[in-house]
Amino acid sequence: MDKMKFFVRVAALALALLPAASYATIDTIAVDVGISVFKTMPIGVVPFAEKKSIDWIEEKPHLIVTRDANLSGRFDVVSSDKFDLPLFSKTHAKHYITGKVTPVGKMLKVECFLYASQTKDLMLGESYLVEQKDMRRALHQFFDQVIYRLWGERGVASTRLAYVSKMDGIKQVVVSDYDGFHRSQITRDTTISMMPVWMKGNAGLYYVNFKTHRPKLYSKTFGGTERAVFPQLDQTYSPAVNPKTGELLFSSTVDGKTDLYIGNPETGKAKKFAYLKSNQTSPAWSPFASEVLFTSDRGGGPQIFAMGKDGSDLRRVTFMGRYNERAAWSPEGDRIAYTSMDGGHMNIYTCALDGSDIVQLTSNAGNNEHPTWSPDGKLIAFSSNRSGSYQIYIMRKDGSNVTRITNSGENTSPTWSFFYDDFKQPKKEGKK
Amino acid sequence: MKNFVKLAVVASAAALCLVACAKKQQPQTEPEAEPAPAAVAPAAEPNADSLAAEQARLEAERLAAERARLEAERARLEALINQIMSEDVYFDFDRSELTEKAKELLAQVGELLIKEERFTITIEGHTDARGTEDYNFTLGAKRAMKVKEFLVAYGIDAKRMESVSYGKEAPKVEGATEEAYSQNRRANFRVNIKE
Repeated sequence: MDKMKFFVRVAALALALLPAASYATIDTIAVDVGISVFKTMPIGVVPFAEKKSIDWIEEKPHLIVTRDANLSGRFDVVSSDKFDLPLFSKTHAKHYITGKVTPVGKMLKVECFLYASQTKDLMLGESYLVEQKDMRRALHQFFDQVIYRLWGERGVASTRLAYVSKMDGIKQVVVSDYDGFHRSQITRDTTISMMPVWMKGNAGLYYVNFKTHRPKLYSKTFGGTERAVFPQLDQTYSPAVNPKTGELLFSSTVDGKTDLYIGNPETGKAKKFAYLKSNQTSPAWSPFASEVLFTSDRGGGPQIFAMGKDGSDLRRVTFMGRYNERAAWSPEGDRIAYTSMDGGHMNIYTCALDGSDIVQLTSNAGNNEHPTWSPDGKLIAFSSNRSGSYQIYIMRKDGSNVTRITNSGENTSPTWSFFYDDFKQPKKEGKK
Repeated sequence: MKNFVKLAVVASAAALCLVACAKKQQPQTEPEAEPAPAAVAPAAEPNADSLAAEQARLEAERLAAERARLEAERARLEALINQIMSEDVYFDFDRSELTEKAKELLAQVGELLIKEERFTITIEGHTDARGTEDYNFTLGAKRAMKVKEFLVAYGIDAKRMESVSYGKEAPKVEGATEEAYSQNRRANFRVNIKE
């Protein structure tokens, strides 16, 4: 269709303009090998042209792109009303994004372009025919293509978050896009729902509910029905999904003793994961699911431990302070994010796999808890009551660029989705 | 909660029974069918059959006494249950050891449970708002278990007790003060009456 043709044209352009492509490639490499974790790439953003007057209900597209760029942790946005070579040159914005919006009946045709600033060569083009309310998602898709083009990596603009939101005083599980928009409520119980995690493939969630007056794990696919998982076990909670197999590692408390169990949520079969004298909770998988992190109270208070999936090589990771909990293994595999309590406040830290090289990411801003990595490993989402109520925030993995993404009520316990497997590399037909 | 409902059911069942008994008996004592006024206000008609009136009065007294007895029993059980449910056991931060005060309280609960064999209890372990949800579940579980172990040692059959952790999800007192925290670091009881 129109869009296909457009892509053919873009592909042809890209082929015809090899110098532009190699220019971009060099740029990508230069940034990628940057030692500093917060090395960012300047990028220009210019308002999209509007072909007829448009009654905007949503944010204008260049503002959505700007937010994606800022949230991504990869870019410094150079905003400009129009293409401005001196400005882009001065700020080293070697690329810029702009586009064109045309009303087509009730729909909007949103064309998005990534240009090289110096040559004005088109490096990437996407066209979406969408209702205005869906434009944000279309722009997220485009933005992930931009990241792929400039970084050679998948971005997270099309990923989602699950978290817990208090409604009428009851905790419910909700999901939203990674930027806090398109929120939808997943549980509608009169009892507490909490601890949501994503199924492998993002088809649904596992979470804990109290409808039986005990914490119990349930699963629910999006649009599907709720099902108890591992009903044979008492007090099940703290789920962690194996990113390779979809198995569930979780805590079960029997007669006051808490152990880790591993099970297949489809068959319902589960067995004890480790036979340890201590209580264990908050399991987390390494990116390739060969190792796990968990919290043990064997020293009295909570400390983080690691061991192989087969139970081998048990070792303590955290030694600083008396309360280190809820470890999350970075997708790049090299760091652990966790929550530590000192002076009565919770704060988020990262450390190397052996517990060394501790970096405090949050401080002097209320409680900061429940870190969850973006699937590209660039960002950490967490909950904080720094504004008075608990809300969800996103920051870069070095603690910079903290952005609040929820605004009302009380929101806690974010868990980032996996990448969506339907991501296609740049030559792709967009959603209608 | 549940036990209140049960009590209410027991109480209302008793009341129904009383009403039913009263209805059944009144025709026997007074076939002329002026039952209700006579029973409720026998003095209103001093010239009526005095024997029947006297019987009705005695019957009303008996019923009232029976009602009072059931009411007293219900109140006694309710008081006991309330007492057990109000016997919250408090803990120090991130600890699950029983304090001396906790042990004294639990000994009283143990006595009640020995006397009232029909009572079964659920021990709920709770934590204050600080810390993670996950770890607080394990901490609440440890607290509930310490209470259960104490009561087993006191002589209560473990089968009469269930333990569950609510972690930090069910605070008794809202707020981020030490006062609120100390009230929330607790184990409490739910009581059921075995039929």
